[in-house]
Amino acid sequence: MSRTIEPEGMTRRKFLTTTAATGCAVAVGSGVLLADGRFVIPNSEGFLVVDMKKCQACGTCMMACALAHTGVSSYSLSRIQVLQDSFVDWPDDVVLAQCRQCQNAPCVEVCPTGANHVDREHGNVRRVDRELCIGCKMCIQSCPFTPARLQWDTGRRKSQKCDLCVDTPYLDEKGGPDGVQACVRVCPVNAIAFTRDMPAQTRDPASYSANLRDWVWKRLGMTTE
Amino acid sequence: MTLYGYAGTILRLDLTARRAIEVETARYRSWGGGHGLGSALFWDFCKDKTITDGRDPANVCIVATSPLNATPTPSAGGRCEVMGVGVGMHPVSWFTRSGFGGRFSTMLKHAGFDAIVIEGRASSPVWVDIRNRKVEFHDASDLWGTDTWTAQKKIWERVGAPRDVRSGWWDFNATAEQALDPETDQGRTTQRPAVLTIGPAGENRTAAGCLIHDAGNGAGQGGFGAVWGSKNLKAISVIGTGEIPVADPMALLRARQVTKDKYVTDIRQPDFASWSHVGGLPNPLFMNPPPTDERRPQACQGCINGCRARFAVGYGNESTCQETAWYLPAVRRVATSVQELSEINLRAADVVQRYGHNSFLFQTGLHWLEHLHEEGVLGPGKAIPSQLPWEKYGTLEFAEKLIHALSHREDIGADLADGWVQAAIKWGREEDLHNGNMQFSYWGMPEHGYDPRAELEWGYGSILGDRDINEHCFNIIFTHVTAAFAFAKPMRIQAQQLVELIAEKLSPYAVNRPEVLDFSDGNMYSEAVAQLTRWHRHYTRFYKQSALFCDLKWPDFYNTNVPDFRGATASDDAGEQVFWNAVTGDSLSFEDGIELGRRIWNLDNAIWTLQGRHRDMVVYAPYVYETRYTKGELFPFFMWPCRDDKGEWQYRDVMGRSIDRGGFEDFKTIFYRLEGWDVDSGWPTRATLEGLDLAEVADTLEAVGRLGKEASR
Repeated sequence: MSRTIEPEGMTRRKFLTTTAATGCAVAVGSGVLLADGRFVIPNSEGFLVVDMKKCQACGTCMMACALAHTGVSSYSLSRIQVLQDSFVDWPDDVVLAQCRQCQNAPCVEVCPTGANHVDREHGNVRRVDRELCIGCKMCIQSCPFTPARLQWDTGRRKSQKCDLCVDTPYLDEKGGPDGVQACVRVCPVNAIAFTRDMPAQTRDPASYSANLRDWVWKRLGMTTE
Repeated sequence: MTLYGYAGTILRLDLTARRAIEVETARYRSWGGGHGLGSALFWDFCKDKTITDGRDPANVCIVATSPLNATPTPSAGGRCEVMGVGVGMHPVSWFTRSGFGGRFSTMLKHAGFDAIVIEGRASSPVWVDIRNRKVEFHDASDLWGTDTWTAQKKIWERVGAPRDVRSGWWDFNATAEQALDPETDQGRTTQRPAVLTIGPAGENRTAAGCLIHDAGNGAGQGGFGAVWGSKNLKAISVIGTGEIPVADPMALLRARQVTKDKYVTDIRQPDFASWSHVGGLPNPLFMNPPPTDERRPQACQGCINGCRARFAVGYGNESTCQETAWYLPAVRRVATSVQELSEINLRAADVVQRYGHNSFLFQTGLHWLEHLHEEGVLGPGKAIPSQLPWEKYGTLEFAEKLIHALSHREDIGADLADGWVQAAIKWGREEDLHNGNMQFSYWGMPEHGYDPRAELEWGYGSILGDRDINEHCFNIIFTHVTAAFAFAKPMRIQAQQLVELIAEKLSPYAVNRPEVLDFSDGNMYSEAVAQLTRWHRHYTRFYKQSALFCDLKWPDFYNTNVPDFRGATASDDAGEQVFWNAVTGDSLSFEDGIELGRRIWNLDNAIWTLQGRHRDMVVYAPYVYETRYTKGELFPFFMWPCRDDKGEWQYRDVMGRSIDRGGFEDFKTIFYRLEGWDVDSGWPTRATLEGLDLAEVADTLEAVGRLGKEASR
């Protein structure tokens, strides 16, 4: 796939905005800049949703994620982050932070090199092409969520993000929207799920939360409310 | 050369000089990790191995990880091993061990270290901040006296951790320039520091002092809280952003998946009554009902089915098993509802967690104190003076006052602080060790609920080692079978099939010898049971305490989630060695792991020998010989597979008997001979040690006249 590298000092948005000022929609790289200034990219065909009331905070998803993608054990390189505080009561003791594969994907929009792009061959997943990433961290800074859903790979000086396991050389199953996701596969309690239905595109963390607690959970003595 | 599975560096903390020293892990690679690593480090860095009180400044305390920590090896990713000379045992506090779960070992590796060796004694209280191999000693004067939870939260603040779980990424860099330079960039994390700390029980150097991490992970046995207290070490905080190399990530992830798909009951359509160790469902291990359904299961890192919980009610978080029941018999007397019973129990659990007090001592100890009070010996103005409000026994108020007194050496705590059997002797209550009123079975530690007169491998393992083993490898038989009898549950596997399934896994000493599991009266002191005991000692020393597979999940001998009932242990698709090899790149066979466990066990015995151990000291408390086991802690019977007169296997009640002194002495002789130890002294011999590549250890024993005699040929 060929991409245009913008002149130094000019972000892709600036470049597109300038071009669109002619009154036309302009297609560049991953998206289309409409005449009204909106940057439009195709919707992802897959999303991860989580049940923060169900998670047992074992961190297995984090370990599996880093291993499947990079072959090393690292929390900092996990595309899904589990944050917990032992001294806080349920359900506020655990937060799961996974990439939302946003409809408008600011991280894609701001990337100056097209490294952070929409992968049309793999269900429009928003991905970072590490060969093109120049390590400017703009994608990380652009993420509107806390914690940012992109990670900084300190050793390799690159950004990274959840690709729904499209690029998982250490997973012996097919990954991606049409395959498996390591975090979903390994979660002992099925607190992470893959869906093709786009969750509501709001800043509310709850919009990517799902109630994955079923009759088994109830029988184990835990609420399904 | 890449050390797969390791951070690559061991940290020595010289508290006396407040100095950090790094040692390459490669020097100790042959010991695996965890306990093996720790025993080898103790051997090298403890210069006086004759000490018998862990509070001696010469003592060295090791906190060690495993290559499997920080990996998704099922229920092995988050355990941590602690070693050193213990406190409060009787007649000798041996070189001993404890373990705890949670996040500490994982985070220690991400911070760059495989183990910490704690040496010397600080001149005043300190806490240690470890961050990406940067080590700082800090004054802990104002933390001294705080409970374990408060101390951890204060340290989080001082380290600069994010305010709460919604605060986002924590950048370790002090400046933008530091972040921009690949040579100095410290990276970022969303995680909180993992802090291991002591509370008042440890600060006051009581034998009940624990190490506590997060709300409910505790290294209880051994009195390591007192060891830290004696060293003026309040806490160690670790946080890191590092990476751990894994030799074959794909094989590791595949084996994890096999475990979930094949050996663990399907959580979408589970078998709620499955018989398995690794294959259960996430559920808190409580002796009484949880207080609410508003809770989650909570797990150590990498666990495949969490055994703890966090609640909405504001108490009981992360406590499990014994600490949730230490006060239960007392509470039953006063609670007027199940809700009240649960609340007092769990709040009492919180109390011991916060004081860093080892509740295991109450396992049988609380009953003994109660007995003394009822007898009129203990109380205000009595022979054993105590101002504790015994009239409120069973209330939370009494629990708090009791734990406070014992943690601060006040009231009866002044005597109990240095050991319960020592206190009994001081109080003139040695008779209680004979009549069974005080059931402290071995080395001054209480019986665990699995009486040595019934569950032989538990008792033998404890008395031939250094402490109550707290290893549930075979104890799962009792749990499954006795519960089936007690609650009329299905007997999922009959006795003969069960012992045959287990025996398949007992390579090399007892493979396909099901008779090693026959605990009937006629087989109690046999070569067969000695072989089982050996296998157990060696399996646990490596797989459970060095590789750090969780005691509550491994080994998985039998498993009804699998059509042929064969468990994951030693299997080719998800056995312990499969995970070890995937992480480290070794080509370890299951039997190689048992052999490495034998090597570690022998080094431990060499240390005990230097401490003064002799065969003659290896005896149970008198009541084990002099009284019969007639009252079970959990059930009025203790079911175990036994052969009848015709040699046929049945589940039978093994209560009602005692240990025969002569029989046990004969058993020791058999055991020592099988181990290649001097049958007269129990000391290791040169031939045995050299066969394990421990010639230097033999030299050391010989130099002090404590090398075992070779068996006559």
